[in-house]
Amino acid sequence: MNRNGQPESVVPNGDVSGETPAVSIRDLSKRYGSGSSAITALEGVSIEIPQRSVVGLLGPNGAGKTTALKSALGLVLPTEGAVSVLGVDVVAAPDEAYRHVGAMLEGARNVYWRLTPRENLRFFASLQGLTQTDERAAYHDRLLETLGLADRADDSLNDFSRGMKQKVALAATLARETPVVFLDEPTLGLDVEATRALRRRIRSLAEEEGRTVVLSSHDMDVVQSVCDRVIIMNDGRIVADDPVEKLIDVFRSRDYRISVEGAPSTVRRRLADTWVSPTELSGGGETTSFACAIPDGSFYELSDTLQAADLEVVTIAAMEPDLEQAFLQLTDGDDRGQRRPVASGADR
Amino acid sequence: MSTAGLGPTIALARAVAYKSLILRVRYAFNTVTNLVTIYIFFALLFFGGREVAPQALNDSLTGIIVGFFLILTATVAYSDLSWELIREAQWGTLEQLYMSPLGFGRVVTIKTVVNLLVAFVFGGLLLGAMLLTTGERLVLDPLVVLPVGLLAVCSAVGIGYILGGLALVFKRVENIFQLVQFSFLGLVAAPVDQAPLLKLLPLALGADLLREGMGQGTRLWELPTGDLALLAGTAVGYLVVGYLLFGVLSRKARADGQLGKY
Repeated sequence: MNRNGQPESVVPNGDVSGETPAVSIRDLSKRYGSGSSAITALEGVSIEIPQRSVVGLLGPNGAGKTTALKSALGLVLPTEGAVSVLGVDVVAAPDEAYRHVGAMLEGARNVYWRLTPRENLRFFASLQGLTQTDERAAYHDRLLETLGLADRADDSLNDFSRGMKQKVALAATLARETPVVFLDEPTLGLDVEATRALRRRIRSLAEEEGRTVVLSSHDMDVVQSVCDRVIIMNDGRIVADDPVEKLIDVFRSRDYRISVEGAPSTVRRRLADTWVSPTELSGGGETTSFACAIPDGSFYELSDTLQAADLEVVTIAAMEPDLEQAFLQLTDGDDRGQRRPVASGADR
Repeated sequence: MSTAGLGPTIALARAVAYKSLILRVRYAFNTVTNLVTIYIFFALLFFGGREVAPQALNDSLTGIIVGFFLILTATVAYSDLSWELIREAQWGTLEQLYMSPLGFGRVVTIKTVVNLLVAFVFGGLLLGAMLLTTGERLVLDPLVVLPVGLLAVCSAVGIGYILGGLALVFKRVENIFQLVQFSFLGLVAAPVDQAPLLKLLPLALGADLLREGMGQGTRLWELPTGDLALLAGTAVGYLVVGYLLFGVLSRKARADGQLGKY
C-alpha cells in the first residue's frame, strides 16, 4: 500500500505514459433532434487535460457542462468529435476507457441507499472488476475514515443525511481506483463544513494520490480553491479556458469604488463629458460613492480626470476580483452588485 | 488493476448476486407480496373451482399448477431485468453500471443469470405451496423440470431484454408489462397440438413439454426430439434477438442522452 492506504496497483495506471493527456476532447458537438427543431447542446468543444491536474468546469444552467462530462464518459454519444481518456477512445472502446475513469454524476443518488457504505464500496469495486482482497478492504476502510464515515460504515444509507450520502458516493467513485475521476456538482446541497472537508479531499486526490480530477460546479469558491484550471462554458461553447489565477488576473483591479465630495447629481453632471462612466451612484449630502471600470494601467488617468472635473476624492478602493466576477462577465451575467472592495476587508 | 480473466467476472457475479439478495431481503415486503399475491390468485382459482366445477378442475389441475409455476418463474425472470433497469435509472446508479470496464452487456447478463436463479427459487416455493394446498402429486424430475423450464423461461428473458431496452429509451413501459403478463397467461395454456405454429411463441412449447414431463412422468429423452430442438432454438433465438435489440436500444438511449434519466 502507498501512504494513502491505496493498493499499489491503482492510480495512475502504470501502462500509460505521463505525457498522455488524462482527457482529450476534440471538436465535440452534440445536437438533439434534426432540422429546424434541433437543439445544440455542445458546439466545437475541445479540451485537453493533463494528468494529475484538477480542472473545473463552470457554467450557468444549460451551458452544456453535464452533457460535456457525459459525452466525455461515453454516456451520451456525441454528434461529432472524439473523446479519449488516457489515450483510449471512449466511444470506440468504452470498456477499455472505463478502466481509467470513474465518475460521480448525481451526487447522493449515485449509490444504493439500501446498502451500507462498506457494501457500496465493495460493490462498485467489483463493478470495476477489482477482486476483494484484505488490502482492498483496508483501502475501503481508509477511504471511509478520511471522509468521516468510519463510524457509520455498516449502517444503511437510508438513514443518512444528503451530505453523508454524497460522501459515500464520492468514496464509491474512488473505490473504483481509476486514475481519472469526474465529479459533477460534488458539493451541491452540502453544508459549509461538509463542503470544506470535500474541498480538502478533492485537492488531495491530485496532490497525494496522483489522480486527475475534472469537476463541474456552480460553487465558484470550490472551483477557485481546488482547481488548477477552469473552463467556463456558456451556450454549449467554451468561453474561457485558463489557469484560475490567470483568469482572475484578467479582471484584477480594473474596477474601483470611488467616493468624492459632492452630491450624486453634481458628480453625474461633471463626469458627463469625460470617459469615466460612473455606476451604482449612492450617497447624498456631501459625498457620493460610485463604481467605475477603467482599462488596465489607467489609474493615474482616472485621478487626473477626477481632478479636472473638480471632484475631490475621498477614497478610492480597488474591487478584489474573484472567479465569480470572471464567470459572470464571461457569461454576460450582471455582477456589479457583487463586487467586494479590498478596503472593506472582504477576504476569501 | 486488471479486467482480464475470469477473476473479475466472478467478483462481479458475486457482487451482483450479493446485492440482489441484500436488496430482496431489505425490500422483503415486496419480495413476499409478489409471491403471496400469485399464491392467493392460485388458491382462489383452486378453491373456487372445486366448489363450482370440481371435475373440470381435477382434469386440468396439473396444467394449472405447471402453468402457475411457469408464469411465476418467467415473470420474475423477465420482469426483474426491466424493473431493475428502471429502478437503477431512478436511483441514479444505471450510468454507474454502464461504466463498468467489464462491459454493460456482461453486467446485464450476470444480472439475468442471478434473476433466473431467483426465479427458480420463487417458482419452487410456489410449486411446493401449490402441491401442499391441492394434495396433487407431480413428477418433479430435475432432469426435466430444470432444462425444459430453463429453456422455456429463456424465451421470456429475451422479451425481458427488449422491454429493458425500451425502458431505457421510453422510460414508462409499465403498460407493456401488463400486456406481456396477460399474454403469458394465454401462452402457457396455448393448444400447441392443434396449432403447431404456436410452438414458436415464448413459453407455449415449454409449458406443453413441462405438463407432459411433470404430469405424466415422461423423461427428458422420451420427449419428442423435434420439440426439444425447437424449444432450444426458440430459447436461443429469443435470447439473441432480445439481447441485440437491447444493445441497439441502449445505444439509442445514449444518443438521445436518456440513459440515466427517468
